Amino acid sequence: MNRVFRQLALLKRKNWIMTLAVIALTIIGVLFIYSASAASDDPRLRMLYKKQMIWLCPGLLAYISFSLIDYRSLRKLAWGGYLFCVALLVLVLFVGVEVNSAKRSIAIPGLRIQPSELAKIAVILLLARRLSRPGQNLGSVSSVFSVLALVAIPAVLIFVEPDLGTAMVFLPLMFIMMFASGVPYRVLGLLILAGMAIVALVLSIMFLPAKFDATDETQLAIMKAVGIGEYQRKRISVYLNPDSDPLYGGWNKRQSEIAIGSGGKFGKGFLEGTQNMLGYLPIYVAPTDFIFSVIAEEKGFLGSATILFLFAVIVVCGVMTALAAPDKLGRLLCVGVVAFIMSHALINIAMTVGLMPITGLPLPLLSYGGSFMVVTMATLGIVQSVHIRSKETGLTFEQGGLWQTG
Amino acid sequence: MQPVRLKAQLDDEHVRLRLFLIVSVALFVGLGGFIHNIQVHLEGKYAESERRQSIRRVRLPASRGRVLDRNGTVLAHDRPSYCIAIYIEELRRPRSSETFDAVEQVIDSIGDTLGIKRAITRSNIERHFKARRPIPLLAWKNIDDDVLARWAEHPAPWTGVDIVVESIRDNPLGSLSSHVIGYVGKTNDLSAPFDYFLPDVAGRQGIEAAFNDHLTGTNGWRILRVDVSGYTHNVEGEKVPIPGQDVVMTLDARIQAMAEAKLEGQRGACVVIDPQNGDVLAMATAPTFDLRTFRQASVYKSLREDKIGRPLVNRAIAGAYPPGSTFKPVVALAALINNVLTPDTQFLCTGTYRVGNRPIKCWLETGHGEIDMRKAIEQSCNSYFCELGMDCGYKRIYHVAEALGFGQKTNIDIAGESAGLLPDDAWKRRKTGAGWLGGDTANAAIGQGFLLATPIQMAVFAATVANGGYVYRPRLVARHRRGELINDMGWDSATIDIIQAGMKDVVQTHRGTAWRARIDGVTLAGKTGSAEYGPGNSKKYAWMLLYGPVESPRYAVSLIVEDGVSGGTTAAPLVRDLMEDIFDLDGTRKRPPPVEAQS
Repeated sequence: MNRVFRQLALLKRKNWIMTLAVIALTIIGVLFIYSASAASDDPRLRMLYKKQMIWLCPGLLAYISFSLIDYRSLRKLAWGGYLFCVALLVLVLFVGVEVNSAKRSIAIPGLRIQPSELAKIAVILLLARRLSRPGQNLGSVSSVFSVLALVAIPAVLIFVEPDLGTAMVFLPLMFIMMFASGVPYRVLGLLILAGMAIVALVLSIMFLPAKFDATDETQLAIMKAVGIGEYQRKRISVYLNPDSDPLYGGWNKRQSEIAIGSGGKFGKGFLEGTQNMLGYLPIYVAPTDFIFSVIAEEKGFLGSATILFLFAVIVVCGVMTALAAPDKLGRLLCVGVVAFIMSHALINIAMTVGLMPITGLPLPLLSYGGSFMVVTMATLGIVQSVHIRSKETGLTFEQGGLWQTG
Repeated sequence: MQPVRLKAQLDDEHVRLRLFLIVSVALFVGLGGFIHNIQVHLEGKYAESERRQSIRRVRLPASRGRVLDRNGTVLAHDRPSYCIAIYIEELRRPRSSETFDAVEQVIDSIGDTLGIKRAITRSNIERHFKARRPIPLLAWKNIDDDVLARWAEHPAPWTGVDIVVESIRDNPLGSLSSHVIGYVGKTNDLSAPFDYFLPDVAGRQGIEAAFNDHLTGTNGWRILRVDVSGYTHNVEGEKVPIPGQDVVMTLDARIQAMAEAKLEGQRGACVVIDPQNGDVLAMATAPTFDLRTFRQASVYKSLREDKIGRPLVNRAIAGAYPPGSTFKPVVALAALINNVLTPDTQFLCTGTYRVGNRPIKCWLETGHGEIDMRKAIEQSCNSYFCELGMDCGYKRIYHVAEALGFGQKTNIDIAGESAGLLPDDAWKRRKTGAGWLGGDTANAAIGQGFLLATPIQMAVFAATVANGGYVYRPRLVARHRRGELINDMGWDSATIDIIQAGMKDVVQTHRGTAWRARIDGVTLAGKTGSAEYGPGNSKKYAWMLLYGPVESPRYAVSLIVEDGVSGGTTAAPLVRDLMEDIFDLDGTRKRPPPVEAQS
């Protein structure tokens, strides 16, 4: 018993500023999930905020547990977790629950799990382990390609679900971790060039045949040959030209922009957002991918700036922790988590204000969604774990944790 | 591995981390700046888009002003009409077909409870749902008092149902002066910036049309906020419509009713004017129609198909008839003011007057013998007036007739007026190719030939003789008490006296052609006319002009019956009956009317 209390005492050492930001965001999330679904006729939808509150419990549990576990012990689990996730990603393609012709989640009685969310944490772990291995030449071709392959396997599996947004978010995650681990700048530059070339190629496959008067059938056939779906092309074209399809593809984007813009400086007030309450912001996306639009409409620029500030606090705390981390593994874990949360936040918000195509990426800690919430809290717990064991706290390796590694 | 290398590597990684930190914070700040631009600088633009998609403007019609007679009797007004309205948004279901089912269920339930038949079909509901979703659906319009009472006994057992009041144009006196009042029709004025228009009307005929701007109020509006499905969410604002102004006519509903009663069963018209100012006291036309029922398809069809009676035509202003002998005083006036002869100059009537080798018969086949002007008017001698016309010349007659308003519209307040016809040489050449002949002058001098006049023109002429030479614009709505003088004829008293004396004799003497129009206690003056028309001149327009009392005339009347025997036989008794009623009404005749006029 005594030992357990000693371990819990470690929690006092954690980064309280980041914890406050995390708790503030989750509370704001619950409030605006309530607002986003308050106008619904469907009582189940109106109960979403309660479900989110219930999900907060395992989320907080994960946050505390992962901060208590010594992050160094996670090194051992990295490969196992990664393979487990890849197996789940393969499984979901066969037994996944089909929603809107996409199979993204596995139903276990009582709850649904999205393996792609688990894959994010697994990839962070494995990349941190792989890139922190001492005495390797990170600039070597074999090293770079092995890293690329590790990321590509889950990303491609997620892409074919299909879930373009989640698959794409692995790219900034990988790039930032490679950058932080010390991969030479020239390699990073080449990667960027290669990435841009691939994007250009994909876009030209999507749009060039049509420009040269190819029929729709040929266009679709060409796209199918390289594995691009019609709806993905549509999303991109709606992003490039939103008025081309204002009622269908462009609707969410346009209504989200109107909601945010009409919010003004201080917003229309809680539960007073007309875009939200009158259903112009569709009820099935408002509590999830478009929660930021609801906040920005009802609380105005004050609300938007608050959200951005809280995410920036998490990012700054995470990087500060990385700077103080006792070893490279801890450093890379922090960077991975920060990259993961930051890319989600920036891409999601940029998408709601019309800066990026609508890709269906949730906003961490705010959007409704159980498994994503638990995964996010767990990754933030890892950052705390590193913080607790960082140099400033002066904790020795031996005192380091509940489960000690050899 | 050397510790120095490790140190260098660590330093490099820390530099990268700081770089990453700076870039991250910059990204957040940049995104914040972009959002600041949208929310603070472009707020107006987005707020406008937000309003445009969720705000709907509904035009609320203003109630129309009333049309009143000179004593304040209501001739046309807006009557409240009670409608049962369904607010679809309160019955909404996830699927539109289920919503329609719910609406139909409620309608059936109301119908069963109140014992009324269903008035709208499912396709009406669907159409309303498509085009006018945010505004209530009227399931029953204009329900009667019984149904309203039964409704009140069932205090709102249905959701989404309420009574709304619309106003409908109503004419309490039905067919009285239908042609003058006119009627209203739905407008299609969709120019204003509204999304929905509640039914509004505009005048189509008569006073309703002529004074439409005056009668029409200022429309109000209601601003609704609709949700994404197009249902009303709430009312954002409302401006109450301002009712239109009343129009007070010069018409006297009681005299109008008398005039209409005299024409009952005839085809014809009757106009009563106040000679002192041109106020039209009555303007009757027969056959007529009932403003309350004529819209019904079957009624309207029969009205349209009656090609002889043509009940929709206002004969009093649109009917152009040959004036016959009622025109003779015009010829006499033209001769007198041009000093063609003196009133005492006598002509010989042999019963036939010859122009070239064409005979024109006097109605008295034996002839009137030697006859002067006053007698010629009293007897309506054709030979006298033919000769007078020939002596005077058509040009002079034309100028006087023109000054009296013949051949031109009187510019009475309502539309549909005919100018009649005052022919001249140029007109005849245009029409027939031949020039004006002496026979045309002789014909015109007795009111036949090409000459055409409307009953309103003849009433204005009677009024001008009555008041001694002032042509007033006949008016249905008076802006001032004083009449609107169009022309001062400038007749000297000797001239007008002889005409007035002749016209008094027409009524007041035994030999006068309108002795049948004489009434006890009031001295009247007038002139009859009988204009032949139809195949072989077998039919006659029976005219009668009249004014009185001669001492200070208050009424000038023109009356025409199509298909009469003669002015004296057909029109004069009708005018007499009318004048008796009028003088009883205004108290001029204190004694009870005699059983039968002296013969």
